[in-house]
Amino acid sequence: MITKPMPACPLAEPAKIAMDRPTILFVDDEERILRSLRMLFAANYRVLMTTNGHEALEILQRERVHVLVSDQRMPIMTGVDLLRQARDVSPSSMRLLLTGYSDMEAIIGSINDGEVYRYISKPWSADEFRRTVGEAMEIAVSLWDPQPIKIVAPPNNESLEILLLDQSPDIAVAIRTLLDENFPGAYHLDWATSQSEAMAILERGKVSIIISEINVDGEDVTPFLKTLKHFHAQIVTIVLTSFRDTSLLMELINQGQIHRFLPKPVRKTLTARSIRSGIERHREILQRPQLTQRHRVEPPRVQVSHSMIHRIRGMLQSLSIGKSNGIKI
Amino acid sequence: MGNLVDLSLPIEPITPNHLIGTVGDIFLQERYERLLSLPVVSDGRPVGVISRHNMQKIFMTRFGREIQGNKPVAAFMNPLPLLVSVDQSMEEASHFVTRNIAFPITEDFILVKDGQYHGIGSVIDLLRGMEERIVEQNLSLSKALSLLKASQSQIIQSEKMASLGQMVAGVAHEINTPLGYVKNNLEMAGEAFKSLQNLGDAHDSLLADLQSGNASDDDVHQQLNRIEILNEQFQTVYPKSEMDALFKDTLYGLQQISEIVVNLKNFSRLDQAAVDNVNINQCIDSALLIAKNVVKHKAEVERNFGTLPAVRCAPSQINQVILNLITNAAHAIDRPDGRIVIRTQADQRHVHIVVTDNGKGIPPELVGKIFDPFFTTKPVGQGTGLGLSIAFKIVQDHCGSIRVKSRPGLGTAFCVSLPVHVSAPVEGKSS
Ligand SMILES: Nc1ncnc2c1ncn2[C@@H]1O[C@H](COP(=O)(O)OP(=O)(O)OP(=O)(O)O)[C@@H](O)[C@H]1O
Ligand SMILES: [Mg+2]
Repeated sequence: MITKPMPACPLAEPAKIAMDRPTILFVDDEERILRSLRMLFAANYRVLMTTNGHEALEILQRERVHVLVSDQRMPIMTGVDLLRQARDVSPSSMRLLLTGYSDMEAIIGSINDGEVYRYISKPWSADEFRRTVGEAMEIAVSLWDPQPIKIVAPPNNESLEILLLDQSPDIAVAIRTLLDENFPGAYHLDWATSQSEAMAILERGKVSIIISEINVDGEDVTPFLKTLKHFHAQIVTIVLTSFRDTSLLMELINQGQIHRFLPKPVRKTLTARSIRSGIERHREILQRPQLTQRHRVEPPRVQVSHSMIHRIRGMLQSLSIGKSNGIKI
Repeated sequence: MGNLVDLSLPIEPITPNHLIGTVGDIFLQERYERLLSLPVVSDGRPVGVISRHNMQKIFMTRFGREIQGNKPVAAFMNPLPLLVSVDQSMEEASHFVTRNIAFPITEDFILVKDGQYHGIGSVIDLLRGMEERIVEQNLSLSKALSLLKASQSQIIQSEKMASLGQMVAGVAHEINTPLGYVKNNLEMAGEAFKSLQNLGDAHDSLLADLQSGNASDDDVHQQLNRIEILNEQFQTVYPKSEMDALFKDTLYGLQQISEIVVNLKNFSRLDQAAVDNVNINQCIDSALLIAKNVVKHKAEVERNFGTLPAVRCAPSQINQVILNLITNAAHAIDRPDGRIVIRTQADQRHVHIVVTDNGKGIPPELVGKIFDPFFTTKPVGQGTGLGLSIAFKIVQDHCGSIRVKSRPGLGTAFCVSLPVHVSAPVEGKSS
């Protein structure tokens, strides 16, 4: 399993040999964590590490880092801060957060600001960590693109399909008002009050963005959201909920790759901004379908009924990736 | 009895033309016994009162009855009786009556409805009604008070839970970090051990071949080669220096974890007496360890401990006070060279704990408020504003005092003084 030799001092390694080697950067304020992780990964990748967020950003600017793994609680810069800035400095790097304790704010930040690929808790399992990093590495290496893609606005006669899954009429009204204010005439909103209604709408095959509560009619819809993402990565998920549970959120990252997490009550600007970035994400994916790889999910661990998987997978036929159905904003 | 109407005695009034002699007889009737005065009404409207006191004055002068008995009441009555509308509240009425009635009280007041005579009311009844009302109000006040107390203790409980939550967050992080590398290192050591076993197996089979004596040179060569490759692989993947560091780190991590556990136990004191003779310096040390996660990135901590006598106190409460002072100090620091100094010293009767920070300080106009429950300048989620109010109460319960001195922009010092009830000197230490 271990094939390549480990460099004695990875940071000192000259950049020229290194540029095309799969590279991982670890950021943690505890050096023992860094040492331990270097040992775990040095055989397979070029391992860079630092205890300082600013230095991490410099490295990201200077070198090709395929995978960035950061701790959350650090003195100089928090992990979420680092990931957020890393999105600008090195958008193609896959971002992972590795934390010892996650407060709600940090997790929400890692989704909304950090657009994190995976959330890993300390202590981790060596094998699982290797597997997760391996996947991230594979995606980053194959999709590496120093130029951010230019999103071409689709023909403006096409309207954007948004599906709202929430029981509350108040929320439906709020979302509709907000859409009217921000995207007048450019969208079509479907409102479902149950999972099966949502499924029926999805089967029509036009939905680009789903805005969903987590609990609908007493039913936990997270398995549904996860399965949906698993088979239809081009549908952007925005969770709008009053539910606050850290472990559930971590699952929604790792197995649901939700695009944004918005706590209720509806905050207009934040929600509008999230929908806007969701639209961009959706378009980006339509333009370069390979990009869905970057939002690949862990297979859902919860039991999902076969019929649901079947139905959701079945939608595949009715959905044509690449067919643009975005809107002009 | 709650309303003024209930106080109204429907006495049949007399007219202004009633003769004094007759009025004297009326007063003697049993049913008027309780009355100080009789209402005088004309056309339904009260026009005066005539009091027993008036009558006595008339009748007690020589031949008074004989001289005055045939005169009408109007000549002797008080033409300005106290009129109280029955629509008023009992409080309003009693306020009005007590302010306007003449002393000594010789008359009753007249109750009117829309200006019409309604009945007569006695001051005593009014006072009794008020008293009842006050008792009632007292009852509901004390009920409200006990409700308030209950909800206050609930709030204190929830503040405890909140600070517990903060603490758990810190401690979980503090434990999970060493746990992270300890576990990872151990898993890697397991893998290294497996590679070593493979190497050992290769050695064994070479040895067996050599001992058997019938192995070909080629075979031996091949096996040697294999051992060499395995060995080289092992050396590159697990260099000795790195392996040494790995084991050292692992032991260090375990040490960290056990320290945290011991400290948690000390801090909570769940397994110890609620009240004990305690070395305050130790309390500070355990609070410091708990607060480590909050303080670590903010400030250097200087401990300047004097030799202290043991203090008889509830250590878990004193820990809570100290923890709050330390976290407040850390929260106040907004500069890179943050510094918290904790000094202890004792005099004849008290032990003093002084926590000083070089944080942003407290504006003079706010100093008076910081001990108020719910006063906080921190964002939602960071502070409930109960820390100091609870600290104040705890210190008060210990018959101690807590004082603050602050200079905006320079820093703040909190001083807690606790009386020493039982003296038994304990060694101090400093760093
Ligand atoms: N060392 C300090 N320096 C500056 N301000 C302070 C300091 N200690 C307390 N304060 C001020 O006093 C306020 C009240 O403190 P208190 O400990 O009662 O509540 P809190 O810290 O805001 O919330 P918590 O309930 O979490 O303790 C703080 O919000 C802060 O404004
Ligand atoms: Mg406080």
